[in-house]
Amino acid sequence: MSASGGLLRSFWLRLPKSVRRRIVFLVAGDAVLLGFIWWKAAQSRASFADEVGRMAPNVAPSILAALGQTGIICCGAMDLSVGSILGVAGTVFGVLHARGVGPGGCFAACFVTAFGLSAYNGWLIRLLRIPAIIVTLAGLAFYRGLALILAEVASHGFGQQFTLTGDAYHRPGELYAGWILLAALVLALWGECFAKTPRMWLALGNSEAACRLSGLEPARILFGAFLVGGIFLGLSAVLDVTNHITIEPARLGAGFELSVIAANVLGGTSIFGGQGSAAGTALGGLFLYLLGPAMLYAGVDEYWRTAVQGAAILAVIGIDCALGRRRKLMEELR
Amino acid sequence: MRRFPLQLVMLSVLLVIEIAILAPLAGVRGGPSLLPSFAAYGNDLLIEAAPLLLLAFGMTVVLMSDGIDLSVASMTALIACALSKFEPGPRFWITALPLGLALGAGLGLVNGLLVAACEVPPIIATLGTLFLYRGLCEAALRGAKYNPFFDVPGYARLGELPGTLALVGAVLLLGGGWFWASRWRQEILMIGGNRVAARYAAIPVGRRLIEVYTLSGVLAFLAAVCFTAHDGSASQASYLGLELQVIVAVVLGGTAVTGGRGTLVGSVLGVLLVAVLVEGLQAGSNSWIQERLPFKFGNLRFVLLGALLLVGVWLNTRLARPSERRLR
Repeated sequence: MSASGGLLRSFWLRLPKSVRRRIVFLVAGDAVLLGFIWWKAAQSRASFADEVGRMAPNVAPSILAALGQTGIICCGAMDLSVGSILGVAGTVFGVLHARGVGPGGCFAACFVTAFGLSAYNGWLIRLLRIPAIIVTLAGLAFYRGLALILAEVASHGFGQQFTLTGDAYHRPGELYAGWILLAALVLALWGECFAKTPRMWLALGNSEAACRLSGLEPARILFGAFLVGGIFLGLSAVLDVTNHITIEPARLGAGFELSVIAANVLGGTSIFGGQGSAAGTALGGLFLYLLGPAMLYAGVDEYWRTAVQGAAILAVIGIDCALGRRRKLMEELR
Repeated sequence: MRRFPLQLVMLSVLLVIEIAILAPLAGVRGGPSLLPSFAAYGNDLLIEAAPLLLLAFGMTVVLMSDGIDLSVASMTALIACALSKFEPGPRFWITALPLGLALGAGLGLVNGLLVAACEVPPIIATLGTLFLYRGLCEAALRGAKYNPFFDVPGYARLGELPGTLALVGAVLLLGGGWFWASRWRQEILMIGGNRVAARYAAIPVGRRLIEVYTLSGVLAFLAAVCFTAHDGSASQASYLGLELQVIVAVVLGGTAVTGGRGTLVGSVLGVLLVAVLVEGLQAGSNSWIQERLPFKFGNLRFVLLGALLLVGVWLNTRLARPSERRLR
């Protein structure tokens, strides 16, 4: 007990102050939202347990992708193409399903596609030496087009969407999402405590020049972050695709990158790199998701929900950045 | 400054090649009907390009200041949705348009305040407002659709070529001319190049940034006018993904995403490159080429836009001055 307590303590103390502040804030925020949902559910005699059970399949894909993105953002890069990559992976899944491939093959192909495209992003950044944000912005458009073209070329008489029939195809997304998420989260936190690679990402995000001077190779570290991110993104793609009944290549994962980045930013990961924690990201993703059911129970008009969610994200980020402003100004002028 | 002409020449050559490839798809015929068919093509092209040109003006200035405005498409859509809620009639000119202008400036101001006063990184701030403004579109229209624009006397004329050209020409020539000669532009470039140095040089960085994002909002209002005058309607899903086209165009035109470098002329050429591509692919989906392809020709648009962006940025970094390259 004392050993694990000590571990927790050293993990906590190693986090930067702003991340710690954010984690405390998010724990409180998540608790408030959950409490509100519990209270409202008790009032309307709905089952709180059902609500929580529904949560895992819906929240797992974005948190998983966000955990992968945390490593990339810690390096000072960003992957804007995750939503489109999800679209391609889903399309591959749909095409194989339409051709009668078994569940295992579909899951594997979906995972490999997402992992491969993420790795390709990393490789392209290394090759062209262009900022990651530009490469992945191009990828955002490119992969979406790829998904649409692939769907039309590879399956005859393709309409708008693939329909997934058969329970076996839905198993990972519906039954095991929570467990997979938990395992990935534990793995990410373990890596943050003990592994060397995540620390190199933080080092790269803090100072590329210092990294280079100490004999590390920045391009290679970033490529590593994209590889690890690809594993998380692959898991996320499998869970997200199998949680849907239909796959629409034009829309699957549209706007996904927004929620992934928002989860990171809410979780205290610095967008300039060099600061961040998987714990914050997971809490941030949970907070974003909980806003949805909470608004539902609070009776917010359905047309206003997107706007309220956007305003909430902006408010949290804006207040936090404004709080950190004076300190930053002093540092800049020193 | 020496490398700009070379880049402009290259862009022009690219543009000519692109037109030569894509214009035949859009119905330009050789022989005696070359001129009239090309005139019709040019007409469509310029109308397609007009709102993009306006947005690209704003985006160029924003990128020069080392920022980025991802919310332009949502802003344009929100302004168009707001305009569409007004009663059609002559009073539209004196009620809707000034309010639309104020709304555009206000939306831009919100972006500017987030960036300058709260010091949120521009990409995060405008990603958030992209989300927020799109949500506000939904809240404003509540799933309904209004098409008052063609019932406003004289409004549709802004969507035809002479009206559009007059509007865009006035903005680009007068605004662009003033911009080119102004000290304001130099200050923006300096902020983009080195913010701390700009602050030491007594440039009011925060105020300039607010002005830059507000300008982007005002230009989004003008773009919304162009779009609605041509289409006659707006919905909450209008102009999705437009920001990508604008950013691709501006970056192709040689503006550095890291700030401190950029020209309006380059952006104009970049917009034309993108517009020729989009127009050609739209027209191509009704032509002979579609029958020989197993997929929708128009879907190539995303792939080509992405590829163009990469090529454009790659060329930009290669063409940067040697001294600049060494610094990186």
